[in-house]
Amino acid sequence: MRTARWRAALRTPLGATAAAGSLALLVLAVAGPVLWGSAAEETDVASMNQPPSGDHLFGTDDLGRDVLARVLVATRTSLGLALGATAIGIALGLILGTLPVVLGQRLGRMVVALVNFLVAFPALLLALFFAVIFGLDARGAMLAIGMAIAPSFARLVQTLSASVAGRDYVSAARIAGVGRFRLIRRHVLPNIAEPLVVNATMGAGGALLAFAGLSFLGLGVQPPTYDWGRLLGEGLGRIYVNPAAALAPGVAVVVAGLVFALLGETCAAVLGVRTGRGPVAGRARHAEQPESGKEAAGTGGDTVLHVDNLTVAFPAERGTSRAVDGVTLGVRAGEAVGIVGESGSGKSLTALSAAGLAPASATVSADRLDVAGVPVLASSEAQLRDRLGTSVAMVFQDPTSSLNPSMRVGRQLGEIAQTHDGTSRAEGLRRAVERLTWVHIPDPQMRAGQFPHEFSGGMRQRAMIGMGLMGRPQLMIADEPTTALDVTVQREILRLLRDVQHDSGAAILLISHDIAVVSQICDRVLVMYAGRIVEELPVDRLDGGAVHPYTRALLASVPDMSTPQDVPLATIAGRPPEPSERSPGCAFAPRCAFADDLCRSTDPVLEVVGPQQRAACWHPQRAESVSGGTAGEMPGGTAGQSPEQTPARVTTGDDQ
Amino acid sequence: MAGASLYGQADVPDAPDVPGAPAGGGLPYGLDRLSNPWTRFLTRRLARLLVSVFVVVTATFLMIHLIPGDPVRAALGLTAPADLVESRRESLGLNEPLITQYVSYLGGLFTGDLGTSMISGTPVSEIIADRLPQTALLGSLAFLTAVAIAVPLGLAMALLTRDGRRRGVELGFTSTAAVMSAIPEFLLGVALVAVFAVSLGWFPVAGMSGASSFVLPVLALALGPAMALARILRVEALRVLGEDYVRTARAKRLPRRLVYRRHVFPNALTSMLTIGGLVLGAMLIGTVLVENVFAWPGLGMTIVESILQKDYPLVQGVVLVYGTSVLFLNLAVDVVLGIADPRSTIRES
Amino acid sequence: MTGPLVFEDVHIRFGSGSRATWAVRGVDLEVPPGSVVGLVGESGSGKSSLAKAAVGLVPVASGRIELGGVDQSGRTLRRRRVQMVFQDPYSSLDPRMTIGESISEALPRGIRRAERRTEVARVLELVDIDPWRATSLPGDLSGGQRQRIALARALAARPDVVIADEITSALDVSVQGSVLNLVRDIQRELDLAVLLISHNLAVVRYVSDVIAVMRSGRIVEFGGGDEVLERPEHPYTQLLLESVPRIGSALGPSDHATRRE
Repeated sequence: MRTARWRAALRTPLGATAAAGSLALLVLAVAGPVLWGSAAEETDVASMNQPPSGDHLFGTDDLGRDVLARVLVATRTSLGLALGATAIGIALGLILGTLPVVLGQRLGRMVVALVNFLVAFPALLLALFFAVIFGLDARGAMLAIGMAIAPSFARLVQTLSASVAGRDYVSAARIAGVGRFRLIRRHVLPNIAEPLVVNATMGAGGALLAFAGLSFLGLGVQPPTYDWGRLLGEGLGRIYVNPAAALAPGVAVVVAGLVFALLGETCAAVLGVRTGRGPVAGRARHAEQPESGKEAAGTGGDTVLHVDNLTVAFPAERGTSRAVDGVTLGVRAGEAVGIVGESGSGKSLTALSAAGLAPASATVSADRLDVAGVPVLASSEAQLRDRLGTSVAMVFQDPTSSLNPSMRVGRQLGEIAQTHDGTSRAEGLRRAVERLTWVHIPDPQMRAGQFPHEFSGGMRQRAMIGMGLMGRPQLMIADEPTTALDVTVQREILRLLRDVQHDSGAAILLISHDIAVVSQICDRVLVMYAGRIVEELPVDRLDGGAVHPYTRALLASVPDMSTPQDVPLATIAGRPPEPSERSPGCAFAPRCAFADDLCRSTDPVLEVVGPQQRAACWHPQRAESVSGGTAGEMPGGTAGQSPEQTPARVTTGDDQ
Repeated sequence: MAGASLYGQADVPDAPDVPGAPAGGGLPYGLDRLSNPWTRFLTRRLARLLVSVFVVVTATFLMIHLIPGDPVRAALGLTAPADLVESRRESLGLNEPLITQYVSYLGGLFTGDLGTSMISGTPVSEIIADRLPQTALLGSLAFLTAVAIAVPLGLAMALLTRDGRRRGVELGFTSTAAVMSAIPEFLLGVALVAVFAVSLGWFPVAGMSGASSFVLPVLALALGPAMALARILRVEALRVLGEDYVRTARAKRLPRRLVYRRHVFPNALTSMLTIGGLVLGAMLIGTVLVENVFAWPGLGMTIVESILQKDYPLVQGVVLVYGTSVLFLNLAVDVVLGIADPRSTIRES
Repeated sequence: MTGPLVFEDVHIRFGSGSRATWAVRGVDLEVPPGSVVGLVGESGSGKSSLAKAAVGLVPVASGRIELGGVDQSGRTLRRRRVQMVFQDPYSSLDPRMTIGESISEALPRGIRRAERRTEVARVLELVDIDPWRATSLPGDLSGGQRQRIALARALAARPDVVIADEITSALDVSVQGSVLNLVRDIQRELDLAVLLISHNLAVVRYVSDVIAVMRSGRIVEFGGGDEVLERPEHPYTQLLLESVPRIGSALGPSDHATRRE
């Protein structure tokens, strides 16, 4: 697999160039002195300092020696010294870098401090410093450059190994009694090797340039030996006579430097290391839906969110994968609706798309997607801003990352009033303080002047909700608003959301993986599985009234405060399908005890199964009530099922 | 996250969501207000600077003693008479015990005495005072130029190529920037001289004489770092564009330019600052090479000459100046970072 | 059996001097052989620090952690009879080592190569993973499977006590159940002592015989599961219990005066 990736990399323009360049450099370094050695040494007083000519492509130097030949011959010295310096730098860097892990806390911290101190100085300054000590010749310069690049390499090793050392598998190995050196050899080094290789390659390029610099200044290679830097320095003195004599070694340095850089990039590409290139995202395109042009407000008055056949697709390896696949839902004014599902079920994407905030790489389409009477898909961003304004508020999962870290909280709220209501900055801030009071943030005046990191997690989430209240929201979409919070804080946030709904009349769309959380403030629950809604039911039907096998299994598999201790939890065998690997038929069929050929071939549609209840299932399970947590009603192997499809009643696990 | 809020008392701030709790409730916030984080930050940072300066001073002092053999003999040459070497050793104080030399070196520093040049006999501090302004001018002009190019270019490129748009532009920019930042300043200098001074004759080849003589050295010094910074800034801006708080800003339905101006750019620039500091330090030292390309009468010429002439007191003096300037630059960057990123002062202290 | 795992007046500190924060301040706790002790608490309560101290990952400032008279808090202990399973299944297995290698590394020293292989197969079977999986890399496995492997690795060290630190909180709900069942089954089968740490009261309640509630570095309530959960004495335990979302239960009035407008 590894070799295949290298081979594939060679076929890319980047890889091919890097490989060809390295090969050329190698050949030159080996054969250069043999082929042109005598031409480079041959002095000719008759043709001193000549400009380029047929005989001498880049002219001659002050002893009449051919510049081109000298540049070619110098390849071996230049590369050899650069690689030598790199080797010294890497060896020192590895030692300094892994020392903290070996030495333990106190001594280790001193090594880290030393490296941090050294790394603050530019490599050239360190190189000059060490060159003075080691002497002005090729060996001295090699040592000097090696020591100059060592700190940054050591720092890299330290950062990488510290991040690996913090991972649980290293802790686990330590608990298992693995010694320090074995820990480094078996766990740390293999897991940081790839970025190190990449950086070493690029570091060699850097060493080459540094060496050229030192030699150019006369502090590196001394005559009669010469490298590219030396030639460059000599050429610069005669730049009026023969500019080519200065440019040729310069070009050689740049080309060699680039080859190392490209080689590094190729390694990075093959090994999957990031080097600071931009993220690769798919082409952004929101599918416009032309048909909803004429009558935008025909949503039946009190519906604030109207979603009809919503599909969200992402570019995948083969074609596209549909993360949300034909979702239809509606939220009436003042209503609280919950969407429940596991990770990857498409619940968050549904919510984001409804607010027109799907990621740019997603393709969103729907027969109809109206929010507060405004067709989201058919409107431009500016139109949405004018027509929708602040009628939709969003609350996200992680309040820490959802607030701008470099802006005061009051300002982040206040800018909404400034933008949408055209208030002054002072009025915006006054309103912000008022909203912070509404969401029960103590001492709001002071808090408004603080930055998000000075807030606790619960308070940040309150501030987010307060932000949503800056306008007059008709709909508040809360995407896992309590998942990052402790239970006691969770309850406070849920109560706040409920109060907001009551007081402001805003409808709430609450997304959560926790069915109990949703049941606390919602009137209706939508259960999503694999990008689709599989069941929709009133909250009071959750206890015993669910008919879809997935909903029932979900309810039974989560222990609650009354689950009997002596009965195993019900489990659902297998795991949810990835969007790309969905097969025809009901997506839950492979994990379902009641699935038959119909389920595996034909998609069930959402149909009414009771008052205000709909389910997408060929075999809805009505009748007996689900009494929390018993596995009993999940029948084991039904006739006709192959063993691997038999859902485990007890504990065969989640193997696929 | 502030270390204090991870454990102990610190999980109280969430509990005050309970009624009747005092405002903010938590100890950490009260503490923060009592002892200003800025005071703590600056105290710590200055203490660190002091230690660093001390280390640099010691290192430059030791430099001359780490040279294998007799530095005076090396400087004067093998043929120099023994009594000359001896008297020179005497005048440099090299015959004293190491600790005495160190103390008198430190004492000299406090009075601004960096010794005298072994070659010219001029006090080192005079030579430095004479040369430093040219280097500082060149360095700061180059830095301003680099920032003036990098910031608009990097941000514009981020916006143009966001969400994977304009792949061609992206490829063109990243490869140009990669090549440009891979060309070291002295090579760029040589190329600029060959084209704009020798062939076109627009600017002087070397020396410092009037405004036009600044153009090529400044460009040679600034272009590479400018492209490198622009590349970093673009990546940072793209990263910030994917942050949750930018999604929040979009959810507020702010006009796009406001989202960029208030939420994207400040955070992208902040995260670029750290690397910017390193680039700035590298530019300062890059003057050594560029000055030698353009025969610029600054410290960079001085250090190379003095190393070649083995004029050790002068070498020590100039290395000390370069070393401490880097330290002060880093301090400046940290302070700017502290102002730009409210979290960093807390993190530091 | 080597007796209970005993925590005695354990203090754990992070940082030093004026910046020191106490994560654990005086915890006494006993995990008797063959029983499951549940430890509940919110983030920052110090429960994870306590667990890490018991396996020598975090030093104790004062107090003792002993198993059968052997101190467990030191960094260098040849053979640990207390093993731990971590929260994040994606970080707890070395991505470059096969599952078999990871487990084999945890086996007690002095086992011959051939025996190692059968031993690895044995613990894999214990956690319901096909032994042929021993050659796979963690990248090929789902979160739930990884958590099983992590448990297998802990079992390979032949521990007397297993500490399970939030082992289900990174898993999807439909997978959580099977991992909990597994922990219970293995605990009974091997008669292990288990210290189960979780912020989820329902999870702790379901698996544990005894429950300890931790807050701000102290244990504020301790007792039999039913005792603690049905008749909580400490107001914090009461608050925790009230806060657990339950289907069909009311959320209760807001603690704050409701906003008027």
